[in-house]
Amino acid sequence: MIKRRPPVPISGVVYGEIIYWCTCLSALLVVGGTIRSFLETDTVMPVGYLINSVFEGRSVEEIWATSALKSPPDALTYLSLLHNGEALTVAGIAFGVLSVAPAVFFSAAYLWRSKNEFLAVTAMVSGAFAIVTPFVYFLF
Amino acid sequence: MRLLKRMPELQILLVCTIGCYLFLETFVASNQLNDFFGLTGVDLIFISFFMSFVVAIISVVAGVGGGVIYTPIMLAFTSVDTLIIRSTGLVVAMFSGLVASGPFMRKGLADIKLVFLGALPILLGGFLGSLAAITLFDYFGATGDALVRLTLGFILGLIAITFIVGGASTEYPEHSEKSRLATRLKLRHMYWEETLKRPVRYDVHNVKTAVFLLLCVGFTGGFFGLGGGWAVVPVLNLVMSVPLKVSAATSGVLLAMGNSAAIWPYINAGALIGVVAAPWMLGQIIGGIVGAHALAGLKAALVRKVLIVLLFLTSLKLCARGIEGIFNVNIPIL
Repeated sequence: MIKRRPPVPISGVVYGEIIYWCTCLSALLVVGGTIRSFLETDTVMPVGYLINSVFEGRSVEEIWATSALKSPPDALTYLSLLHNGEALTVAGIAFGVLSVAPAVFFSAAYLWRSKNEFLAVTAMVSGAFAIVTPFVYFLF
Repeated sequence: MRLLKRMPELQILLVCTIGCYLFLETFVASNQLNDFFGLTGVDLIFISFFMSFVVAIISVVAGVGGGVIYTPIMLAFTSVDTLIIRSTGLVVAMFSGLVASGPFMRKGLADIKLVFLGALPILLGGFLGSLAAITLFDYFGATGDALVRLTLGFILGLIAITFIVGGASTEYPEHSEKSRLATRLKLRHMYWEETLKRPVRYDVHNVKTAVFLLLCVGFTGGFFGLGGGWAVVPVLNLVMSVPLKVSAATSGVLLAMGNSAAIWPYINAGALIGVVAAPWMLGQIIGGIVGAHALAGLKAALVRKVLIVLLFLTSLKLCARGIEGIFNVNIPIL
């Protein structure tokens, strides 16, 4: 019986490593965003107000309607307020989520090279799906 | 401790996160919240982080998204708006799987080919499910919705019973015949089983049925906002004959990828409150790394037991919500 460790597919390692390191980086962004949001005093998204409102059970519309923003922020609002702690935290989370797309494409390239054309194509379509969806929501 | 020594990135993440919360507890004044036993906002964030860490370890070991545990707890014990719970639930469901992808792939425990085979049906099913939810909800009605939840709850209970009755045969399933389609797609794999100290070889079966079932899992997940964590491991293990530990690892990676498209509507609606989601995300990342390393060293029997408990709990939750919807009653403990 074979007792040696079997080789690990390179396409899987590429996929895992890209997502792993991007996710760790996004965690650091989120930590930075959290500290910043607690330290800033003059802001349109005050953290004390947000936490109190959320745990008091107020709805999303109510929370944002009575904030300085007056309406719920969309992705573009967060991008324009990146100097703000709360926006930086959300951006950190979004960065982690987006790490799926490059991971899928690089991994698909390695799958293609190892003659797994069908799975490489399904991977590319899934990656395209993951990339296109946020832009659809940003734009429409 | 050995894991911490081996992984400097885990040390950095732990020091930064704990340091951040200690700094906030010590130096930043925060008002006490009403009806929260005199806790401040920072206290609640730290408690959320710790709970998320524990949830991540359990969910990574069982291969289900953490949302299965997070959402019922939050719905039962807090008055937080359901839209905020659902958006944070997605973060919880996703990040342990995202970060666990690294260790799982490095150890060869998750099967990348199965991930890409299952990703498209789950993504497509989820997209079609959410579209159907928007267009059909008025026709479907609350009673129809409750009826489907009840049915899903029963199915899940039956799956849990199958895992109990199947016993150890579900840990390393064996199949006498080879699938022609799986052979053409090169869906054969071998992984190193740490507890047996030998490699385990497996062949994948019933590819077409599994792809169809994953499409259904994606659809129901998208339609009812359930997520797919409850069903991916059974499909991989019971239908495709993939060993239980590989099923759990692959399911975690697959769910993270499948949920990645679903978070954007919440961000765009302002429903993802960063300061509330952040401790859950950080707990999932740190707990996900620990859980991924723990899974490799755990016996498959333990993984099966954890999965059975989680399947029963989810089944109970679904049945309760179904009964609540049909008979218009409130079941307070769930």
